[in-house]
Amino acid sequence: MRRCNVLVLLLANAPTLLFAANVCEQEAQSTGSTTQQYYMILAGQTDVFYDRSGPTFVMLQRTAADETDVGAFGIYAGARRQPVFGPVPASVYEQFASEPRKPSDVVLRLAISKPQYERTLQVLQTWERRVREKALLYPEIAMDNILLVKQATEELNRCSTTLVPYELDWGLEDGISEHNVASRIPYEYFRELARLNAARHVPDTQ
Amino acid sequence: MATRIKRRELFSSFAGIGASPAGAQVCTGADLIPNVPLRTHDGAAVRFYDDLVKGRQVIINMMYAHCEAFCPAITSRLVEIHQALAPRMGRDLFMYSITLKPEQDDPAALEAFAKMHGALLPGWTFLTGAAYDIDTLRFALFRHDHIKFDLDPDSHTGKLRIINDAINRWTHVAPLASKMTVLQHISWADPPKSFEQRVEENRRLQLAIDKEHELYGYRKIV
Repeated sequence: MRRCNVLVLLLANAPTLLFAANVCEQEAQSTGSTTQQYYMILAGQTDVFYDRSGPTFVMLQRTAADETDVGAFGIYAGARRQPVFGPVPASVYEQFASEPRKPSDVVLRLAISKPQYERTLQVLQTWERRVREKALLYPEIAMDNILLVKQATEELNRCSTTLVPYELDWGLEDGISEHNVASRIPYEYFRELARLNAARHVPDTQ
Repeated sequence: MATRIKRRELFSSFAGIGASPAGAQVCTGADLIPNVPLRTHDGAAVRFYDDLVKGRQVIINMMYAHCEAFCPAITSRLVEIHQALAPRMGRDLFMYSITLKPEQDDPAALEAFAKMHGALLPGWTFLTGAAYDIDTLRFALFRHDHIKFDLDPDSHTGKLRIINDAINRWTHVAPLASKMTVLQHISWADPPKSFEQRVEENRRLQLAIDKEHELYGYRKIV
């Protein structure tokens, strides 16, 4: 099976811009493909970095009969075990997905539609551009990663409820932002989404 | 017999206090201000830092043409500020109003907004651009470092960023504070004044304070 890095592949192919007005029309018109499947995987670990946070990233996958496009973006452990924000190397996300996981690890694998895949990919590509151009929005990468995971997951529900949401909004009901330092928020957010969406999780074996 | 007093220093190392860490560098405008491509209300293509900010004293705010909450009031206040500083505007002081909604506000929409508010004035430029670049600029200049507020673009209309790039001095003020407060904050980023100028300004200020005490019995305005 041929495997392509989705961030690089689709950047090169200049993806079509999706405008807000017709985004939901596209999603409503899209029919499930029998030849291609689309997935979003939310992956998180804890107790890896000095502040007890860990790698937390969003992964996108498109699978067809003989090829897979895959890419992940977020925070991962660099060569010196330091947190790095950017496109996650294949060796890192493959290891994360295949090795026996600690009980504290979080993986939520969701089957999504093509329009959802394309919209989320656009979110990831915008962040990839920000890393490349050194135009991150915060001086602290933990804050950028919160924005990334929030934008990517909320993009799924723009037109219809695919994911049982958790409102990460720093409001009165938001215990995650209240009780965690910035670097742990994405992990706790993914853990809560995994709990809320356990029935929608697609195991690796499928 | 005189007692000899033993004196001990409370602080042992004056040399280290206030010193920058070894090797630390001071960030300047070129490091901090994104040089993003933008378009002015009259359609000119510009680079934000290189063409508009470099070496200048500037006043920057964010707005959008269809904003019905604070933007019209803030723009009216900026017109007053412009009038108060008219001799300097376009010479050593510049105003930039950047749209928060570039997808709605093209140069023509910004020009119409400026015209409607009497803001087509020398040294005052309205700016639009790609959403990506506007976000980069918005976070670099107006970030609250709190995601809830930073995700709400409206929260960035209530601030004036004042930068004097030539002397690397930054400050900010709420545009709906009193006109005098806004002018005072702008003056904090003015080019350094000579000793004689400062003595003269202080003399005039003291006269004004004394006059208010005479009139009202307390310091009222200045």
